[in-house]
Amino acid sequence: VLRRQRVTHVVTLPDNASAALVSCLESPPGPRLVWVTREGEAFALAAGLWAGGALPVVLIQNTGLLESGDALRGTAMRMRVPLVCLVTYRGYATLGEASPAAAPDGALLGRPDVDSVAVLTEPTLRAWGVPYAFLRGDDDVPRLGEAFADAARLEQPVALLLPEATT
Amino acid sequence: VTKDELLAPLARLRGERVVVTTMGLVRPWARHSDHPLDFASADSAMGHAADFALGLALARPERGVVCLNGDGSMLMTLGTLVTAAASGARNLLLFVAENGTYEVTGNQKVPGAGRVDYAALARAAGFPRAFRFRDAAAYAATLPEVLDAQGPVCVAAEVEPGEETPLGRGPGQDARYLRLSLAESVRALRRGLAVGSGLLSTV
Repeated sequence: VLRRQRVTHVVTLPDNASAALVSCLESPPGPRLVWVTREGEAFALAAGLWAGGALPVVLIQNTGLLESGDALRGTAMRMRVPLVCLVTYRGYATLGEASPAAAPDGALLGRPDVDSVAVLTEPTLRAWGVPYAFLRGDDDVPRLGEAFADAARLEQPVALLLPEATT
Repeated sequence: VTKDELLAPLARLRGERVVVTTMGLVRPWARHSDHPLDFASADSAMGHAADFALGLALARPERGVVCLNGDGSMLMTLGTLVTAAASGARNLLLFVAENGTYEVTGNQKVPGAGRVDYAALARAAGFPRAFRFRDAAAYAATLPEVLDAQGPVCVAAEVEPGEETPLGRGPGQDARYLRLSLAESVRALRRGLAVGSGLLSTV
């Protein structure tokens, strides 16, 4: 789908869950991989790529998403860059009854059986005004195409959350 | 080196390169240049001018991209030195104006002011060429070589702190490239680069 969408660059700081996808992307033909040192850098670099006429995608983990607040706000969002962000959802399986719809508090974030980054991922995206959908498996692949359409229509970043490791 | 001594020779020689400015160099550059390929990383994200410029350089390998960064901004994303070197962006020229202060917020001292050598950092990160200047005449004489060098290239220059105030955008701004919103400005840059896309709409 990325190739069909004519994605030119995948800007990434990968993790275990995205390793298979990154490995696949390392084989030409396809988008060029650009490795960054911190996730905030990915959004500024992707905004620059788009300004230059390229079509980038950002691929990061949700922990890095939380690190990226000002960069996402000040570049991709403020510049109104149509940008698809693939975000692996570390800790999703630990959420259980700790619904991401709930208001997080110190007690929840401190629970050893719940991954606090998972608790904060969706509330953070909502707070930052980033629409998101889930990409859970092969049946959801059409959502990737929809994400590109949404990003172009809204002229802003949109996220696709990947709760399972890519294979 | 004064800001004028840093910017005037570059404005004469920049040709059709994109020039990305930020913080204390945004308004001074606008006093030397009024070019469709000037872009201000202002009203934007802290410290993210260099990585934005790197993205431009990777998207347009046939065109030079200059980033006029400051030492305070560079410190916020030092990893970008490594990213830029690893990316092999031969067309990126990264200036680090070392004034030793966070100028637009009131000239508070940056960590390591006067002790950090940004050219050495760039070289250690893998930049094939890195220059350091304390003298305006030497800088002006070397600038043609700098512009011809295969990048990514870093130029660190000790610059006198100025009195620039926080940056805004809007119709009342003196600098043409600050009269547009950030979203409009990036679309104007895309037009300047002749990016053909139905997404060009708002300016």
